[in-house]
Amino acid sequence: MRTIQEKMKEGFVFFDGGCGTLLQAAGLKAGELPETWNITHADEIRKIHYDYLMAGSNILKTNTFGANALKFQEEGEYSLKNVVERAIDNAREAVAAAEAEKSPGTDGPSAKEHYIALDIGPLGKLLKPLGDLDFEDAVELFRKTIAIGAAYGVDLILIETMNDIYEAKAAILAAKETCELPVFLTTAYDASGKLLTGADAKAVVAVAEGLGVDALGINCSLGPEQMMGIVEELAEYASVPVIVNPNAGIPRTENGKTVYDVTPDKFREAMIRIAGLGGRILGGCCGTTPQHISSMIAAVKEMTPLPLTWKEHTLIASYTHAVEFSGKPILIGERINPTGKSKFKQALRDHNMDYILQEGLTQQEKQADVLDVNVGLPEIDEAAMMTEVVMELQGVTDLPLQIDTTDSKAMEQALRRYNGKAMINSVNGKEEVMREVFPLVRKYGGLVVALTIDEDGIPETAEGRLAIVDKIYKKAAEYGIAKKDIIIDPLAMSVSADKESAKVTLDSLKGIKERYQGRTSLGVSNISFGLPNRDFINASFFTMAMQNGLDAAIMNPNSLEMMKAYHTFCALQGYDENFADYIEYASNLPAVTVGNGAGGAGMGSVTAGSRTGSDAAAGGADTQEKDSLIEAIVKGLKERAAHLTGEYLQTMESIEIIDGKLIPALDIVGKGFEEKRVFLPQLLMSAEAAKSAFDVIKEAMQSKGAAEEKKGRIILATVKGDIHDIGKNIVKVLLENYGYDVIDLGKDVPPELIVKTAKEEKIRLVGLSALMTTTVPAMEETIKMLHAEGVDCKVLVGGAVLTQEYADMIHADKYAKDAMESVRYAEEIFALSLN
Amino acid sequence: MIDEKEVYRYLGYNSEWIAGLGTDTKNDYTYDPADGSSEVITGYIREAIASTEAAMFPKACYGRFPIEVKGDGRILLPYGEVVSHDLTRNLYDCKEIFLFAATIGAEYDRLLRRIRLTSMAKAAILQAVGAAAVESLCNKLNGDLRKDAEAGGYKAHPRYSPGYGDYALENQKGIFAILQPSRYIGLSLMDTLIMAPEKSVTAVIGLEKR
Repeated sequence: MRTIQEKMKEGFVFFDGGCGTLLQAAGLKAGELPETWNITHADEIRKIHYDYLMAGSNILKTNTFGANALKFQEEGEYSLKNVVERAIDNAREAVAAAEAEKSPGTDGPSAKEHYIALDIGPLGKLLKPLGDLDFEDAVELFRKTIAIGAAYGVDLILIETMNDIYEAKAAILAAKETCELPVFLTTAYDASGKLLTGADAKAVVAVAEGLGVDALGINCSLGPEQMMGIVEELAEYASVPVIVNPNAGIPRTENGKTVYDVTPDKFREAMIRIAGLGGRILGGCCGTTPQHISSMIAAVKEMTPLPLTWKEHTLIASYTHAVEFSGKPILIGERINPTGKSKFKQALRDHNMDYILQEGLTQQEKQADVLDVNVGLPEIDEAAMMTEVVMELQGVTDLPLQIDTTDSKAMEQALRRYNGKAMINSVNGKEEVMREVFPLVRKYGGLVVALTIDEDGIPETAEGRLAIVDKIYKKAAEYGIAKKDIIIDPLAMSVSADKESAKVTLDSLKGIKERYQGRTSLGVSNISFGLPNRDFINASFFTMAMQNGLDAAIMNPNSLEMMKAYHTFCALQGYDENFADYIEYASNLPAVTVGNGAGGAGMGSVTAGSRTGSDAAAGGADTQEKDSLIEAIVKGLKERAAHLTGEYLQTMESIEIIDGKLIPALDIVGKGFEEKRVFLPQLLMSAEAAKSAFDVIKEAMQSKGAAEEKKGRIILATVKGDIHDIGKNIVKVLLENYGYDVIDLGKDVPPELIVKTAKEEKIRLVGLSALMTTTVPAMEETIKMLHAEGVDCKVLVGGAVLTQEYADMIHADKYAKDAMESVRYAEEIFALSLN
Repeated sequence: MIDEKEVYRYLGYNSEWIAGLGTDTKNDYTYDPADGSSEVITGYIREAIASTEAAMFPKACYGRFPIEVKGDGRILLPYGEVVSHDLTRNLYDCKEIFLFAATIGAEYDRLLRRIRLTSMAKAAILQAVGAAAVESLCNKLNGDLRKDAEAGGYKAHPRYSPGYGDYALENQKGIFAILQPSRYIGLSLMDTLIMAPEKSVTAVIGLEKR
């Protein structure tokens, strides 16, 4: 018998059809676990398998869709092991029965090759950071089921109905790390052509092929008609065979029953078209029956499948979309990198994640396509930091990332956790480096940047660099890594040190294109090292490089000159349909281009100033004299408040500004809030304006070496089990504005940590937040523990579900109904403690 | 469609203020915070609505099930027997229910994480917009289900969610087991009984034969 891999290379292969709908018809109740039927109703399960085999199916899906350790115990009759093994038994027995049968047709099932696929469905949990299932826990859950199935004996692993590419990645890794069996992946797309978590078909192909699946495709959710576009897209990008297992239409309810509209005849007609679009492994999902499958097989087996072809697309992907390296150059933002940036270094040391994420978001706004991530600093644990930054960045941006590190542990951890197919920076021609990096590329997938340097250094000629390129491609091929997954960086070297260096790089670019049709990338700015106004040289060199076929540049998207070069090149080269990007870019440039940073800020202030001016004029009838800083804060004008504070600092002491302007302004808004004349957004806008004023003062004080005076230190935390932190964050902003030093322990904080911190830091006030009734007990527990451990502090509680009554019940010292009341209480406590 | 007034309501604006939206407020403060800045806030709210509408991926799934109200607060629901006096009151005279789960999707959660990095004021506004978005999704679904019920000669009772009154949040487990919303709409239940994505609702709608 041919293996499934051999068989699918030679022609069509047919899956079975739906199971769940048939089980419901046989009496499976809503909420009942279908996998228990492997034991309680083995006959029904075998019958379904048998009917599909008689219909002509080659591959049976075991009845193990929901068989995972979240639903099944380790011990007992309905243990995970028993459920999975009985499912395989049922499939095996059906195969034996069908193969023994002489079917009425000329080529009965006995003549067919049959395979049993261990069916793996989703876990029903959303992965972190948006949900609560850790990626490694997901891998472990999948591993348990796959280990049982593989040990008991199946022909392949089918991971199906995945609607999150991240979960699919966990399942594929689990399969690859557990057994040598072929792995098939099918995902469930929405009518818009995306998974529920956002990935499109191109992104799925990039990720799944990167991880080494043997076949991939689509199942469930849609009927065959709605799948056509997606099948086309899959067939365009996938080099492996495409699987198509549609529902019998989109389910709807009729008199309380779920019904499917696509009849076996209509199903057959649609599947003929799907086979014509490139579907090669065909079957059905919910609502399809042996009649659907046999009708389809009868027609499709007479067709010739489209040939399987290798696709040359160079793709990387985030969890939503793929970025293709072809034509228009790709911009890789280089700013997440501590080299030469003292603020960034400090942010890494302080674990200031917000600062790092902000660097990412700014580059996205400036049109970076990919973000390079480099967090290497000798004094930090790079592997842990890299993983965390990658995870956090993927919580806020949908741009693909480039993992930039020389630490192979950091590289592996980040690649493993990354949600998508990453870029990897970098490998080079050194044997040792290739030995370290290529296995990771092979295992996790990725597009790896390869530098033309080896044990002998960087060759001075283009020919020398091309020789290294040749070596890298060959070595990669030994690891099973295709040329399309390598992007060569022929290295830009300082032109001031060697006037030929730009030419050598450009010649190398050209050579890589002409000789190998290879992909290329450059860290452009190295070229200008040692010269003044480096951006001028960088931008011209960038244009020359693009002209020589450069596919991607690692660059600073905040650089005006570089972005000008990029947009003009794209417009001139015909990459910019109707000049839309160029016009958008050029018409939004600041009027003054030299020293644009300061110019931009200045313009901002002018606008803010004039707006405030007219407001002041409008309210000019008031008798009391207006103070513009107070007004700016009351109105929540951030830039104006910062600007005015800077001016006041010329003539006033910091403390005078704080006590005479900032606090009174906050009090005006706070009072308005308490009187229900001002509402939350206004309160927060003022708080943010005050914060920007404080920041100016803080900086001035720091430059003078003066210590900042804090009124007191307060712990804030959202209690264990609760992940809602917006209320806590609002209170934090206000307390900080009023001069308190807030130790923010975050959300889902265990009581032990709160007690420990309160003890160590000698805290006088602890603020606890809870949004849910279910987490109020955690609040109570925290208060109890603080009391039991004899921590001498007051406890302030707040949150949507809390009331005075609740607060009394759990022995809190104070219930604050909103952020202002928290501030008032802090003022009270710390005024008392001064006395 | 996300209703702007609903967003103001979620942000804590009182009905008096909302009724006066768009009209000039009287100024008896030296610096009336409502003077001039409300336009900025309205701008932020509209911006948040636009970005939420672009990020949201509204989805719902539901089923219709027989139930039995047994008295003493006991109700036999499709996932088992539950004790809730408040739900009993809500399901008075009902022999069937719709159970539904609805979400605006995970991309909104990412949007919120992103906005938090730049401004708490904008984050608070986006929270309110998200709440209004899922509410409007539920209202639409509820309306469709009500029509469906009425066409069959049933009266639909007001929807009721776990966490209301004494209908414990624990019931989420049963609802998730029956509806499997993670499979159909990408909605999952965390161990804390909180749903992910964040802006999501599950509810019971009682059906009373007329």
